Amino acid sequence: MDIEEGRLTRLQMTTIVVLRVMIGWHFLYEGLAKLAKPDWSAAGFLKQARGPLASLFHGMAADPNLLEIVNPLNKWGLTLIGLGLILGCFTRTAAASGILIVLLYYLCNPPFVGYFYSIPTEGSYLVVNKNLVELAALAVVLVTGSGRAAGLDRIIHRLLRRRPRPAEAASQVEVSTQGS
Amino acid sequence: MAGDDNKEDDKGKIDRRDVLLGLSTVPALGLFGYAWSRQRGYEQKQKQAASAATVRKDVAPVNVALLGAGAQGQVLVDSMLRIPGLRFRAVCDIWKEYNQKRVVNTFKKFKHEVSAYEDHREMLDKEKELDAVVIATPDFWHATHTVDCLKAGKHVYCEKEMSNTLEGARSMVTAARETGKLLQIGHQRRSHPRYRHCYEKLLQEAKLLGRIVTVNGQWNRAVSPDIGWPERYAIPPDRLKQYGFKSMEQFRNWRWYRGLGGGPIVDLGSHQIDIYNWFLGTAPSHVMASGGLDYHDAKTHEWYDTVMAVYEYKTPTGTVRAYYQTQTTNGSQGYFENFMGDQGTLVISESEANNPGSLYRDPNAPAWDEWVQKGYVAAPNLQEVKQKDEQAVLDVRESVSPDLHRVPVVLRDPYHQPHLQNFFDAVRGEATLNCPAEVGFESAVTVLKVNEAIDAKQQVSFRPEDFKV
Repeated sequence: MDIEEGRLTRLQMTTIVVLRVMIGWHFLYEGLAKLAKPDWSAAGFLKQARGPLASLFHGMAADPNLLEIVNPLNKWGLTLIGLGLILGCFTRTAAASGILIVLLYYLCNPPFVGYFYSIPTEGSYLVVNKNLVELAALAVVLVTGSGRAAGLDRIIHRLLRRRPRPAEAASQVEVSTQGS
Repeated sequence: MAGDDNKEDDKGKIDRRDVLLGLSTVPALGLFGYAWSRQRGYEQKQKQAASAATVRKDVAPVNVALLGAGAQGQVLVDSMLRIPGLRFRAVCDIWKEYNQKRVVNTFKKFKHEVSAYEDHREMLDKEKELDAVVIATPDFWHATHTVDCLKAGKHVYCEKEMSNTLEGARSMVTAARETGKLLQIGHQRRSHPRYRHCYEKLLQEAKLLGRIVTVNGQWNRAVSPDIGWPERYAIPPDRLKQYGFKSMEQFRNWRWYRGLGGGPIVDLGSHQIDIYNWFLGTAPSHVMASGGLDYHDAKTHEWYDTVMAVYEYKTPTGTVRAYYQTQTTNGSQGYFENFMGDQGTLVISESEANNPGSLYRDPNAPAWDEWVQKGYVAAPNLQEVKQKDEQAVLDVRESVSPDLHRVPVVLRDPYHQPHLQNFFDAVRGEATLNCPAEVGFESAVTVLKVNEAIDAKQQVSFRPEDFKV
């Protein structure tokens, strides 16, 4: 990658698009699988929270009013983020929301020294777990804005942005190279 | 991609390349859709396979209504949806804003056209073709609901505890007798294949425990917060009052209130003490008990959160003492019943995770080879012989460790399904009830007496006529 110009090669961008689609796939299935279960609730997951923010999550699990909001938000959030990432539609919003949601999962069950969980994990983790890795991957998706390279954002971007006036045109060329 | 941004001056125009790149990841969504539909199909098949054992094509349809759509009502619905030949016609619950809606939607999802009611009398008036009503309302409503349904000519499955009062329970037995309709009480372990196997095969036929001398059992439950409700779905105060609740808090946590429920000894203990009566073949002669509201807030809890009771049974083979405890502050070791005889011990629990059914053969008992060969019990896991270290001194007071056998019966269906199946089989005239009104009454007398003994602070006797209606 040429850092000076902020451009990615075709191969680099393709790799990032593949990464984005895969994360989207994961989110979409997590969301749909929960939507398919009418009784699904985050309460069980929240109840076994550990770490510095545990009491916050425990409080959420115990408050039915809050669960009324948290549950649909989580289910639909995952689903929409998944769709956004796969299709490259509002990619940055989707990636940022994804980071937020995964950060919450991570903070709910941080694999810090000395914490043990009743839900078995398939691997061995110390501080960094797959949630954190997915979060970092989403950060890559966020900063590279791959939706404008391959995704509906490309079309949306072109449709929504008005024709630049001649005076603006020159400066716009510079701006657009930073993240498109 | 590289060089994609060369046409900045062309904003607002979309060319072929934009469309192709813009839609380039849509096939991934198609692929996802394909995988998702395969996964859904697989899950559907798994579900069907799970209920395949009970699928019969020749069953006569039974028209069913659910009265009481709370947490327990939902548990029963989940089980009933796996039973073939049921047509759900009506749901009745006073929490129209929430529980009623949820269960109606569940039924609709399974293609049952149900009408929703708030008042059970209105339901009975309008739903003339009902064959059976399944009742899962709070205990203090059981008697009214059951008697009204029986008198309307419906067969009834009523959750335990039969009633919070003996008069209520007695009126239910009488109504069942007078109407000739079926009344099954929801002590669902009575139909659990593992419990039936233990009673019929291991205790009655093989008499593996020898003479039972002591019993102990427990249901320990961890502290849990009071049950809440979403504010915006709260029931208006006048409707709550109309149905006997002072507040939404009381409506949600009725089990803790005097006059509405019976506390943990009734909610939890009743299931297991019913097994004491069943396995010992008789009702107790005495009970002493200690209990109190030791832990929870007396403002929102009235019944005892901690109870320890000791029953005395006079069985044909001798006296049996049976201990039971329930507490709501520590869930350690969960729930089980433990029967100890002079030849063996049986530990059994409804929950396989708590105990999958363990039998310990005492070394002095006759060999169980015959029962292992017949498949009544699994081959023993020999208790590990510990290497004696030099310091170990053999103490003459110690018994040799008994062999551990497992009870080879596993229930893969939900806990309540066999008991409901037994009820609907009985409605079709193909079975007899495993827990008819009289049995439920005996159990109610046995359990409700514990609270009486705690209040009296002394041993309380049962008269044989206490158990009769």
